[in-house]
Amino acid sequence: MSRKDPIDLKQDRRQWLKTSATVLGAAVLPLPGVSTVELSGGSQTAEGSAPRTLQAAGGEAKPGARFFTPAQHTLIEELSETIIPADSHSGGAKAAKVADFIEQTVRESTDDQQQALWREGLRLVESMSQHYHGRSFVDASTEEKIAVLKVLSDNEQMTELPEVRLFRELKRLTVHGYYTSKIGIHDELEYKGNRVLREFVGCGDPTPPTT
Amino acid sequence: MAEPELDLGKKYDAVIIGSGAAGGMAAHVLTSHGLQVLLLEAGKKLNIEQELRSMEWPYDNAHRGGLPPGSHALNHNEYTIRRPPYGPGFEKSKSLYSYIGSTDYMKNIVVNERDNPYTGTNYAWVRARCLGGKTNIWGRLALRLSDYDFKAKDRDGYGENWPISYSDIAPYYDKVDLYLGITGVKENLPYLPDSLFQRPTKLNCAEVTLKQGIQKMGRVLTQYRAGVTTDGLKHNKYRSRCYGRGACSRKGGCDIHAAFDSPTGLIYPAMDTGNLTLRTNSVAREITVDPQTGKASGVHFTDSETMKDYTVRGKTVIVAASTLESARLLLLSKSRLYPKGLANSSGHVGHNFCEHIMGPHVAGQATDLVGKPPTLDDGRPGSFYLTRFRNLAEKHPKFIRGYGFEGGSGSGMFPPGTDSPGFGASFKEEIRRNQGSYISMGAFGEVLSRYENFVDLDPVVKDKWGIPALRFHYKFGDNEHHMAADMKETAQEMFEAAGFKIIFVSDRVLTEGWSIHELGTARMGDDPKTSVLNQFQQSHDVKNLFVVDGSAFVSASCQNPTWTIMALCWRSCDYLADQLAKNDL
Repeated sequence: MSRKDPIDLKQDRRQWLKTSATVLGAAVLPLPGVSTVELSGGSQTAEGSAPRTLQAAGGEAKPGARFFTPAQHTLIEELSETIIPADSHSGGAKAAKVADFIEQTVRESTDDQQQALWREGLRLVESMSQHYHGRSFVDASTEEKIAVLKVLSDNEQMTELPEVRLFRELKRLTVHGYYTSKIGIHDELEYKGNRVLREFVGCGDPTPPTT
Repeated sequence: MAEPELDLGKKYDAVIIGSGAAGGMAAHVLTSHGLQVLLLEAGKKLNIEQELRSMEWPYDNAHRGGLPPGSHALNHNEYTIRRPPYGPGFEKSKSLYSYIGSTDYMKNIVVNERDNPYTGTNYAWVRARCLGGKTNIWGRLALRLSDYDFKAKDRDGYGENWPISYSDIAPYYDKVDLYLGITGVKENLPYLPDSLFQRPTKLNCAEVTLKQGIQKMGRVLTQYRAGVTTDGLKHNKYRSRCYGRGACSRKGGCDIHAAFDSPTGLIYPAMDTGNLTLRTNSVAREITVDPQTGKASGVHFTDSETMKDYTVRGKTVIVAASTLESARLLLLSKSRLYPKGLANSSGHVGHNFCEHIMGPHVAGQATDLVGKPPTLDDGRPGSFYLTRFRNLAEKHPKFIRGYGFEGGSGSGMFPPGTDSPGFGASFKEEIRRNQGSYISMGAFGEVLSRYENFVDLDPVVKDKWGIPALRFHYKFGDNEHHMAADMKETAQEMFEAAGFKIIFVSDRVLTEGWSIHELGTARMGDDPKTSVLNQFQQSHDVKNLFVVDGSAFVSASCQNPTWTIMALCWRSCDYLADQLAKNDL
């Protein structure tokens, strides 16, 4: 995106919706029907039933089946890493396995709308990347990835658009997954609590070293 | 612990209904007097070591501390746009909880709304049915009331005075302090008396800035007065002293029981006397009455699991089911002798329902703390309390009574500021650099006691056990709305005085009930025509019936009620034991 004008999201999306209809197909980013990939260690006899939406999408949902396809999982890894990237201070969302957290949350959700939003939203984000950069989000450069999400972030209030809602949901779950992870709590924020202390720590007191 | 079985043939000295702060305290005091006591609790006896996991890291929890799928906790928006009962519309959620039940640590403590419906006006009614009730998850702010509260009518002419003065209850506040442990700092404030404090917590730098900033306005910020033992309690082997270790803001209960909870603080020690019989899963349906004497004879209850009915007998009956449940039970206990419900010749049972209004708050930033190394701020059972300042010396032109602020600041396990716009490297860095610099506070204000605010029984809707549901007729009034507007203004002016950068300030009032401080539905008083109980929480109508929870409050004050509930209950139970010994009940 080299142009200087701010992006008109509603104007542009007419274009990339067309792109998505013609250029893209299930081949680039398969719509999640039923993934055959199973959770590592999962088996046919594993406990828990698959969400109804999976079954509704056709085919038998196997216990322990993943909600997202491998391609979608990789896309979510890249999206979450764009929200919270690794830097010199600590690892990012990818290292913190935020995509696994999102996978679990969406897979277990009893909210059909949330699951539908992820399916639709990922497809639209992918179309945006194709439209603006001529390649899939996963293959785009860091700057290009940022540029795509910036369009959505700058238009955060347009919640009638599914891709905007996806961005908000992605950010919400990435933030939650990251800051409840080991990397988020210990490496990034260097949280000092949840351990036995002899004395309370007040203003001006040195923070006791973490043991 | 000795755990005697329920004896249906026995006439207990006292049958207590409810095991929270009030029921637990009644069990403690009466068993100490050597009385034979039966304690009925509607909910389960939880394996509390498994329930309260205050040191669990979120990444070790299956859902990062969140609710498992198929569960839902009502949020503010849902409380606003829907009317009770809240079950319909959430059919997808197997378990539906009140707003507080939004974490894995709360879900087994609060009730499933679907099994426990209520109707009428909007109300966020938080109920905990399990041994110890809401004390397992309470906010721990433990404040005393003063004669500014007990004699408030003398000051502004509104409502009724309490039938007691501070001097009547002060010795019992002392007993509660010493028996259960409380942390805080002496301030010598006439309107907020000091307790017998154990080791205090310390203020962090933003809090010190605020304290100093408001001093010139004559306002007082003090360490959070928490019902937490910071020095330990030699007489109680079930509770540890506070380690100051953090994650206390999770409010999912304290698994070392440094924070007071009724099971370890009161009930287990009471069982150790050998005088207490505990029966959980016992849903009281009615207080039975002897038609000859007109006295209470016992309690009729249903086993929540087997659905079997039982009747137990007692020389005295002590209602401690929580303010609204206690009123419900009295109204349910209708008979030829008491057609309006038990203890209700005045018609005041269920009325004068009051609580604390909350919602208005301010959030800001101590900009000098941005980018400083992370500090340990949540190793405390609470941050700070900013005491009442309205209608003490001067009269506010728009409203009577007062409010205080509860606040928090500094680094926690989950960082503040994640709802700021943007994403990427700068978003991440901002959260890290800002995490210790935030400070916020929200107000708790007195809701006036009004006869027109009341609960009664719904003629149609029943709970899972076929017991008529409670119906709410309750709304905040003009005094509360004027107060809420003032809360916002003063919150902002104090943050400005402290030099904080204001991030957010709001006067939005939360749904009625949000404070979980419901009070007043069986108020005390000297006049049996306008009150339900005397100063010893004894029914004017039925001598051997006592109601020892928050329903006895005459007014709400703006202080959190738990410590006062327990002090009053201790006083009343001493009286009860004395009267029983004299054969006067």
